[in-house]
Amino acid sequence: MAATAPCGSGAEETGSEAAAGKPGGTSFQRKGPRAGGLDRGGSRLVSIAGTRPSVRNGQLLVSTGLPALDQLLGGGLAVGTVLLIEEDKYDIYSPLLFKYFLAEGIISGHTLLVASAKEDPADILQELPAPLLDNHCKKEFDEDSCNDKTPESNIEMKIAWRYQLLPKMQAGPVSSSRFGHYYDVSKRIPQELIEASKWYGFFLPEKLSSSLPAEPCYLTHGYLKLLQFIQSIIYEDGFDGTNPQKKQKNILRIGIQNLGSPLWGDDICCTENCDNNHNLTKFLYVLRGLLRNSLSACIITVPSHLIQNKAVIARVANLSDTVVGLESFMGSEKETNPLYKDYHGLIHIRKIPRLNNLTGDISDVKDLAFKLKRKLFTIELELKKERKDFIMPSVTPSE
Amino acid sequence: KRRPSPSAFSRAVCPPVALPDSVQWEGRSLLKALIKNAALRGDQVHVLGCEVSEEEFREGFEPDVNSRLVYHDLFKDPLNWSKTGEALPGGPLGALRALCGRTQPGPVTIALDSLSWLLFHLPCTTLCQLLHALSHQNACPDGSSPVERVHVLGLIHEELHGPGPVGALSSLAQAEVTLSGMLDQTSAHIVNRRLRQRPTQQTQWFSILPDFSLHLHRVPAREPRPCPPTTQVDPTAHLTFNLHLSKKEKEAKDSLTLPFQFSSEKQQALLRPGPGQSTSQIFYEPDAYDDLDQEDPDDDLDI
Repeated sequence: MAATAPCGSGAEETGSEAAAGKPGGTSFQRKGPRAGGLDRGGSRLVSIAGTRPSVRNGQLLVSTGLPALDQLLGGGLAVGTVLLIEEDKYDIYSPLLFKYFLAEGIISGHTLLVASAKEDPADILQELPAPLLDNHCKKEFDEDSCNDKTPESNIEMKIAWRYQLLPKMQAGPVSSSRFGHYYDVSKRIPQELIEASKWYGFFLPEKLSSSLPAEPCYLTHGYLKLLQFIQSIIYEDGFDGTNPQKKQKNILRIGIQNLGSPLWGDDICCTENCDNNHNLTKFLYVLRGLLRNSLSACIITVPSHLIQNKAVIARVANLSDTVVGLESFMGSEKETNPLYKDYHGLIHIRKIPRLNNLTGDISDVKDLAFKLKRKLFTIELELKKERKDFIMPSVTPSE
Repeated sequence: KRRPSPSAFSRAVCPPVALPDSVQWEGRSLLKALIKNAALRGDQVHVLGCEVSEEEFREGFEPDVNSRLVYHDLFKDPLNWSKTGEALPGGPLGALRALCGRTQPGPVTIALDSLSWLLFHLPCTTLCQLLHALSHQNACPDGSSPVERVHVLGLIHEELHGPGPVGALSSLAQAEVTLSGMLDQTSAHIVNRRLRQRPTQQTQWFSILPDFSLHLHRVPAREPRPCPPTTQVDPTAHLTFNLHLSKKEKEAKDSLTLPFQFSSEKQQALLRPGPGQSTSQIFYEPDAYDDLDQEDPDDDLDI
């Protein structure tokens, strides 16, 4: 797996190896790579900008652009894996997560590959959120939280006063600017950052119009073109290690929007039992092979609420490594439910990968809700407030 | 008494508007009203007619509206059997592609009557891609002309299709107008999905006059009564023990001093440790039973 290639087994300085190597064998284990171990493997553990090894299993991780989501996924997204976002019904919030991912790539200096059938990738890049620098972060947070402070939240706790200052879910701004940044959704990313970055765009209508009408093949024409495009970029830019001139390793961040929608030529959203039910699953299978062999991470948004066949949804989730589902309250009966009045939707972490492990890093928290504030997208524990409609089972009197 | 709600799927305008309708609430008159609106606004209107004949469609429009209406007829001879050369070349696919490749300047409105007919003759994915291309044909190859407004209106009969195609088409639409109503009044439930903003929903009652102008109503007099609020069950009602506190008991509870409840200065000092506090501090707060004797007890030792 490519994820372990740069930090091969010999260079895993975390944990037990360090302890066993020392004379006198202490059981204290240091988490994190040792600075001294860098020279041992030559260029194998050269640290790539914007990545860090996981504290649990040393897997190389990249940030998804949203530190709260990184925390829920166990530190970040592993290099060589796919993050699948199941879109919400009106496709309001999934483009946000998509843009956070791409913006994080630009800030970290990674190469981007943006594929879409609906919008031109250049337009998508123009709309990325602006990064918040560290010294402005705290100010933005305080301002944001002050704006929607309700009277109830101002009540100081009488008994549990020590917990007053603890944040609800996500940590504050990270002090080091190397992994996980904060973004201001109300502002656009500065133009010079986009121009300084390297990116490739794949806009399906352009690619299809220039080609001849396709003869039927094993995969939808659009998917085939996209896979060929990704493969060519990986090969030319040396993300799979074939190009020996590459001295500075970098990560390729791939973003594919609305995969499976009819605009890609796939009709799983239109009919339940079609002949080409397997196009999307074949695409994901081949994509996963490409990713595992290269230093890349991919985010895909899929309109799973439109897919008619439930089996296809299950297969698509199985073929992806990490699956996050967004459910917005807009238009559903939950919009008027008093439990949910502070939030805009629920976020479901459906699957976390088990990479080189026997167990995945599944958090115990299942009730997560998100809220899009003016500048920030926050994920919080959904606090179950006092339920006024609590129905008690009938109690018979004691006599 | 509520009728089953139909959905008129009107695709609107750039991005498309979908007008779903059903057997009970006919959507074509709303489509014609919107077309008339567009024509009077100065747009050039192209109509791809598939379900009714041209004469029937043009009926009821004023002459100036009719002059701005360019009718592409797919009703008379959709499969080009008569071979007179009158039919549109390429069938429905060719007609749509021709509309996509239109290069005339000026704002334009394209009305598709109906999307249901097109869905039966074209694969759904092709139709979605063509509709997307129709509404996004702003970019010219040379980039010289400014961005033109293209409005696409589509009528779809929701009952004829399963949830799949309707859902797929509505995900492309910027506004979706569902027709329903009560007795003899029609309402339109509009979901407006502007780009990059939260969608809005609203319900608008309207009626269409014989000359196809749109008359918007306020909320009609007879509205269905809202269902009465369900009574809330009080869980403390039938217990064998007392959960309520009297006023005196509440006061006593509030004034009780809790064991780890410190004074507010001590709380603040513990919550926010100061910069120079590397060593721990000792806070002494005398209890009610503490005996504060200021004398040094070692004074009387004889050393």
